[in-house]
Amino acid sequence: MEPPENNNFDDGVDGFEEAEKIVLRWDATTSEEAKEKMIFNSDREEVDRYLQAVDEIQKSMSAATISGDGEEKVNYAVQIAMARLEDEFRSILLSHTTAFELDSVSMDPSSSVHSSGAETTGDEYEHEHGVGDDEDLQLTDPIRRADSSSSNSTSYRSTSSIREMDLIPQDGVFDLRSIAKRMIASGYLRECIQVYGSVRKSAVDASFRQLGIEKLSIGDIQRLEWDILETKIKRWIRAAKVCVRILFASEKKLCEHIFEGIGTAIDDACFMETVKGPAVQLFNFAEAISISRRSPEKMFKILDLHDALMDLLPDIEVVFQSKSADSVRVQAAEILSRLAEAARGILSEFENAVLREPSKAQVPGGTIHPLTRYVMNYISLIADYKQTLIELIMSRPSTGSRYSGDPTTPDMDMSELEGRTPLALHLIWIIVILQFNLEAKSKNYKDASLAHLFMMNNVHYIFQKVRGSEELREMIGDDYLKKLTGKFRLAATNYQRATWVGVLYWLRDEGLHVSGSFSSGVSKSALRERFKMFNTTFEEVHRTQALWLVPDSQLREELRISISEKLIPAYRSFLGRFRSHIESGRHPENYIKYSVEDLEMAVLDFFEGYPVSQHLRRRSQ
Amino acid sequence: MKATETQPSFLGRISIRRNQVMSMEGNHEQELQDLDLFQKHVSDRFAALLSSPEDLPHEPLLSISWLRKLMDVFLCCEAEFKAVLITGRDPTQISKPPLDRLIPEFLERAVKVLDICNAVSSGVDSVRQCQKFAEIAVSALETKPMGDGQVKRARKALTSLLSAITSDDRDNNHFKSTERAWSFGRRVNQGGFRKDKPAGSFRSLSMVVAKNWSAAKQIQSMFSNLVAPRGAESTGLASPVYVMSVVMVFVMWALVAAIPCQERSGLSTHFQIPRQLTWAQSMIGLLEKIGEEWKKKEKKGSAGLLEEVQRMEKLGQSLIEFADGFHFPGEAEKLEDAATQVAELADICMRMEEGLVPLQQQIREVFHRVVRSRREVVELLENAGAVSQPME
Repeated sequence: MEPPENNNFDDGVDGFEEAEKIVLRWDATTSEEAKEKMIFNSDREEVDRYLQAVDEIQKSMSAATISGDGEEKVNYAVQIAMARLEDEFRSILLSHTTAFELDSVSMDPSSSVHSSGAETTGDEYEHEHGVGDDEDLQLTDPIRRADSSSSNSTSYRSTSSIREMDLIPQDGVFDLRSIAKRMIASGYLRECIQVYGSVRKSAVDASFRQLGIEKLSIGDIQRLEWDILETKIKRWIRAAKVCVRILFASEKKLCEHIFEGIGTAIDDACFMETVKGPAVQLFNFAEAISISRRSPEKMFKILDLHDALMDLLPDIEVVFQSKSADSVRVQAAEILSRLAEAARGILSEFENAVLREPSKAQVPGGTIHPLTRYVMNYISLIADYKQTLIELIMSRPSTGSRYSGDPTTPDMDMSELEGRTPLALHLIWIIVILQFNLEAKSKNYKDASLAHLFMMNNVHYIFQKVRGSEELREMIGDDYLKKLTGKFRLAATNYQRATWVGVLYWLRDEGLHVSGSFSSGVSKSALRERFKMFNTTFEEVHRTQALWLVPDSQLREELRISISEKLIPAYRSFLGRFRSHIESGRHPENYIKYSVEDLEMAVLDFFEGYPVSQHLRRRSQ
Repeated sequence: MKATETQPSFLGRISIRRNQVMSMEGNHEQELQDLDLFQKHVSDRFAALLSSPEDLPHEPLLSISWLRKLMDVFLCCEAEFKAVLITGRDPTQISKPPLDRLIPEFLERAVKVLDICNAVSSGVDSVRQCQKFAEIAVSALETKPMGDGQVKRARKALTSLLSAITSDDRDNNHFKSTERAWSFGRRVNQGGFRKDKPAGSFRSLSMVVAKNWSAAKQIQSMFSNLVAPRGAESTGLASPVYVMSVVMVFVMWALVAAIPCQERSGLSTHFQIPRQLTWAQSMIGLLEKIGEEWKKKEKKGSAGLLEEVQRMEKLGQSLIEFADGFHFPGEAEKLEDAATQVAELADICMRMEEGLVPLQQQIREVFHRVVRSRREVVELLENAGAVSQPME
């Protein structure tokens, strides 16, 4: 390169000529050397010289001193300069397109998923060394996402959850500004925006790949298995937060820095050029999820997605503030509303599924039915998500008309439940229909005692689950808890009646005495019959019901005690009154097989779920 | 935390039975009339789209305004279809044969419509890129007096424009228009992309679709199982389902033919509408016209048949020639000629500026409607006691 003749431009024609020379010197279509180097990679003097030359030429354009051929020369020089500046602009942008390290942020293993749906993203974001020259990126402070309470701030600079980063260092920005100013002043705004957008868009694309944001069609998503989708949703939530709060926000900041004070809304135009496509791509995934087929298992991830988007919405509003970004904001709002709709629809589906769940397979031993477990788990989770769901669920459960006489749907009297949130009503309704379904299932047991035991177990389980969860208990209310208690106690009573009336029948007083005096008028044959029947019956009950199960130890104990309280005194009394009659006859051991202690021991076998040996322990002599 | 700890088979196939809705009585006559009317309306609407050039005002085939009309036609048909098939419908009627097969197929098509809408909407953004290059050229060539500098500038923009228009959409989203040609064909190698990225390769994000997604394949699979109902079926509900399906496929096909969209090779082949369908004559006519144009262009690999883009291409080529032959101050006749062309190009830019965003909004509206209808059909199916389908 020739050394510059002088740095001072004279006004008028000479000044222009000097400038023209410089500009033409750097015309790469005519000079090999100009092709090889970039001005902005040379020393600062060269840069300043060139920029001054451009300014001089621009001055000449507006000056009235030049006309005719002169004007043509000026125009030509302008074009050469602008073309060059465009390339310089592109080159500077390209040299700073290192996508910043987002790996740690997206794959952070320690970021936990709270059941309330709020996620902490990138809590322990670490700047990774050794992956190249990252001086440009000030990533020293961990990207911490403040908890959701910060979402009300309208000024974006003070929103603590947005973290803009410097994508391009100060001196780069300065150079870009110098170029942009001049390009725009010469009417080359469109070229400027176009170059900017194309380079930055690629950078955003690269970041997207790093964040693992996939391009999936709606058709693809419909076909994927739900557990795979769950993982993708989780990943998306993490990525979306980084995208909106860091990536897009930083791009916006960059545009503002470069184009600040230069023309109107140019920064908006460049920003939208850069991020519109990526933003649409990002939100299309959430949209696809929001319109996918509904099924109960999807509820909680949908709620997570809803909550995450809800949380992001203020930041989206801020980052995509401009008019040209309307469609992005609108799409985000639409998705949010669809997710809410989906949640409502899923709740409805769930309720129907519980009501109509048709399996007839009997749970052996009358223990807790898988449906009960599933439903109680599900509503426990609903209670965990109550903060969101209370907002979303706005209508009461459709319980069918009261007293409709429709045998396929239970009735529920809502009048005593005034003042409760719709969500609470739904929860109670779910418990009502669960029991309704269980009742129907209990009829599949041939043995009525087992049916009652089954109901007792299951209603008790429901009761336990509600009582054990603060939120559930608060929503469902102690009144209903009392009702549940009443129900399982009633079932216990029904069980006892069904089984033990028959057993104790053989120990009753009536029919043992022949008319006449008390002690001598006892029919020995009848008595022997009684003992025999009692023994057989009891043995049968013992053998059968040892296999039954009452999983809750306290309930089991209580039931056994209750049985003992009726059985033992009755047997003791019977034995006491009539043993002498048997013992005075032949083979008393065939009739009086068991002592009171034997029976007491036998009762302990009940509801353990283990088979017992054929013979009870006999009364030891 | 997992939502359930139960065996997955448990609620896997939910059988939902609701009480049967009392079936509509005495409405059979009315219904037949409605079905006929539906067909007639469809026929009328598409006839309007096929209006001959002598009619004024007219929209040239596959122009932005024509496409906007097409979107309106679709929305009207869709609204009527919903009224005919879905509103107040007894759920059991749509779960009986042949609808038990036809409806799920229809729902599959609806999903494809959604994806195509998204792809086309993104394609409209690509067209805006063309518009921007054209605007540069217009602005440069409108300066008076025309100088070498501005002509050079215009030529650069026009080259980018043509390159954008003729780019092959199979080229994996690499839409060249967003990459400004270096003024001296230079390669970047200072600190550019890191790791494996080759210097100078810019991947644009004008397309947001999945890698292996192909618009042509989607459309092909949409009509692959499309069979006109015969005999007794043709007077029942199978008929409007078929009619609406044909409308869907045609409209998507036309959109994809016009707007750059990923992977469109083989678009025109095989999509046929049976000639004997009286209500479809206009559609068939349009199909033929557009199909012919498509075949012509397919070999060159183009950004689509959008009428404005076609005209832009011609003007671009012509103006590049002009630019190549220009030396200040230029010949009067040629300058006049160029000025006319520039004015036309400016006009196209204005149409794009005014029409592309509304077009995108209409496509978005189509998207919303199809989502809603699909949901309603799904709910109807579920009410009928159908077991949830593995597809979808």
